[in-house]
Amino acid sequence: MTKTASVLTGLLAGTALAVSVHAASAADPIKIGVVTPLSGTYTPIGQQVRWGLELATKEVNAAGGVMGRQIELIFEDEEANPSVAVQKAEKLFEVQKVDFLTGTVNSGSTLAVGQTAERAKKLIATTVSFADSITTDKCSPNVFRVNARAGQQSTALAAWVAKQKPKAKVFFLGPDYEMGRSTVATFKKTIEGLGATSVGEVFAPLDSKDYTQYFGQLRQARPEVLYTSVAGNDTVRLLTQMQDFGLAKNLIVVGASGTVTSQNISAIGSAANGFATGSGYSTQIDTPENKKFVEAFKAANKADPDLYGADSYGLIYFFKAAVEKAQSTDTDKLRKAMEGLEWMTPQGKKTMRGGDHQAVQPMYVVQVNDGKFNIVGQVGGDEAIGPDECTRF
Amino acid sequence: MRDPSTVLVRPVQDRLTLAMRASHVLVAIFVALALAFAAIGVAIDDTFYLRLATEALIFSGLALSVDILLGYTGLLSLGQALYFGLGAYVSALVLQRVPSFWAAMAAALVACVIVGALAGLIVYRVRGVYFALVTFGLAQVAAKAVYNTRELGASDGLIGIPVVPVDLGFGTVQSNAPAGFFLITLGVIVVLYLAVAYLFETPFGRVLIALRANERRVPFLGYSPRAARLAAYVLAAVVAGLSGALYPMLRGFVSPELLFFSTSGNAIITVVTGGVGTLAGALYGGVILTVLKSVIGSWTPHHLVVIGLLFMAAVIFLPKGLMGLVRPWIERLLRRTAR
Repeated sequence: MTKTASVLTGLLAGTALAVSVHAASAADPIKIGVVTPLSGTYTPIGQQVRWGLELATKEVNAAGGVMGRQIELIFEDEEANPSVAVQKAEKLFEVQKVDFLTGTVNSGSTLAVGQTAERAKKLIATTVSFADSITTDKCSPNVFRVNARAGQQSTALAAWVAKQKPKAKVFFLGPDYEMGRSTVATFKKTIEGLGATSVGEVFAPLDSKDYTQYFGQLRQARPEVLYTSVAGNDTVRLLTQMQDFGLAKNLIVVGASGTVTSQNISAIGSAANGFATGSGYSTQIDTPENKKFVEAFKAANKADPDLYGADSYGLIYFFKAAVEKAQSTDTDKLRKAMEGLEWMTPQGKKTMRGGDHQAVQPMYVVQVNDGKFNIVGQVGGDEAIGPDECTRF
Repeated sequence: MRDPSTVLVRPVQDRLTLAMRASHVLVAIFVALALAFAAIGVAIDDTFYLRLATEALIFSGLALSVDILLGYTGLLSLGQALYFGLGAYVSALVLQRVPSFWAAMAAALVACVIVGALAGLIVYRVRGVYFALVTFGLAQVAAKAVYNTRELGASDGLIGIPVVPVDLGFGTVQSNAPAGFFLITLGVIVVLYLAVAYLFETPFGRVLIALRANERRVPFLGYSPRAARLAAYVLAAVVAGLSGALYPMLRGFVSPELLFFSTSGNAIITVVTGGVGTLAGALYGGVILTVLKSVIGSWTPHHLVVIGLLFMAAVIFLPKGLMGLVRPWIERLLRRTAR
């Protein structure tokens, strides 16, 4: 018995010692945990997140760090699975004692990790997830979003379409699953609010081989604009089949931000020409900050940054600005400093709205021409942001 | 005066009884190790490892259900995640309305019996590779349905499952207390183990084992293979569902990924690594796999390759799993002490 007691006392003493050694001192690095997919389908996105964060961290550290402390990034693979993400987040919070956490990609992971952070009394930010729910009905006082949400992308695109074709007749073609239906519903609501009329909608199964069966319906409706939210190889088939059937003439084709991406654009070829979408970032943004960022990113990673890389890069500067404003990494002080914070990113100045923790930023409409996305329109941050629908805090 | 039952049953001569006793010893060692682990966890004020171990136990419960089918009835289910997820979602939905541990567990039990019996009416007709395919298909259908149902949170799942007080009669433990909930989960898993082990020692259990050995002879002995298979399927569903019901209490959310094939597949890897047909192997395997995944996952993004290689090595070098290595040794010990 005495032996057990002495072992326990020893263990306790050991921990006490370990705790006192680990009490944050000014010279210790500030730890940021990154829970992001490093394996599986979402690996390319996780890669961009990693590159963006590492580049900004290198820059900040070279310039003297944050309040004299260096930033240290600790990566964990979440496999785009909320169960794994939550476990890894807890490890970073409890074992590594990170001061802040980011990196989650799919919205399920962001929501679940956000709740873990809330229970651990820590803060997280997502740089990728765009589901509106994260900063609306499922908002959390401990979750921030520095990237544009789906609503912002949709508003920017709708504003551009309304300018091209006032009172347009719009046809909708979405993939038949929850996300596909909700993106169509959001865009429909936005564009109808701007005076357009809907002339029909159809939902095709995921991974459809043949879209021609819907073309009769599409032609009969005589739309001026087609909105689609299919993605990946479905886009390849839809757009090339439309081109083959000569349907793309006199029709403005617009879509969700994931419809045409750098992964499938070469497979679509010339059929992608004219496709437009709303986005929070383009490498073509003509500002000195962006040019510097794109150059540094290319030099470091031998690849162009995309939306996710740019937003993740901007996050480190958001965190730096917040910590310097709060003069602390304490959760409550940091949260207060983050609310209403303005900071500079490659996309220009962003503002963190205090009411729902959603970043306000200028939005762009980009259009494909010969395999490149060109900026064809811009919508101011205040115009695209939409109302604050978070009621929890 | 000797107890007449020992004379009648002659337990030490019966291979099944002996194997079960060896499993009991192994589970007793498991529980002792778990209790020691919990004591150390409390002493050093740990949160993460206790909660990771709780998750490991929950997935051990799922593996236990796979072992009921694979190890004793000889049926490979590729879709046990269906019941794990069903238990988790039912528990989550109940907890959102009534924060009661017992209500959530009871609801998960009822749901799994009903769905297990209904699905059982489809799957009890088939065996072998067809059983594997039908169970796989059912789980995929359920996962897709949940993934697309907005009322169930669709692809995002349900968050905001409250921390629940677990009323044990003599005291209350909060589900977010790391050590407390670890012990409760340990208790639930041990009860599930004991219930299953008890059932396998009854004539019903012997019919199941007979099914695995030679299904065609079973009817000649006067038993219905289909009824036994249906019962085993429902039993496995309940074990998986009750384990799953603990998940939202621990993590505070459920997501459709819980019903995906990766969940079912991991449970099979767990059972094969731990030892098919040992029950105790599911418990040890669950802990080993969860710890390995956590450690290797933090070490390299290629963790799936490492786990895959370890799994292949286990199949080649330990064809009967870890328990296949230690159980015969314990059986010998038990036989010697009984003599």
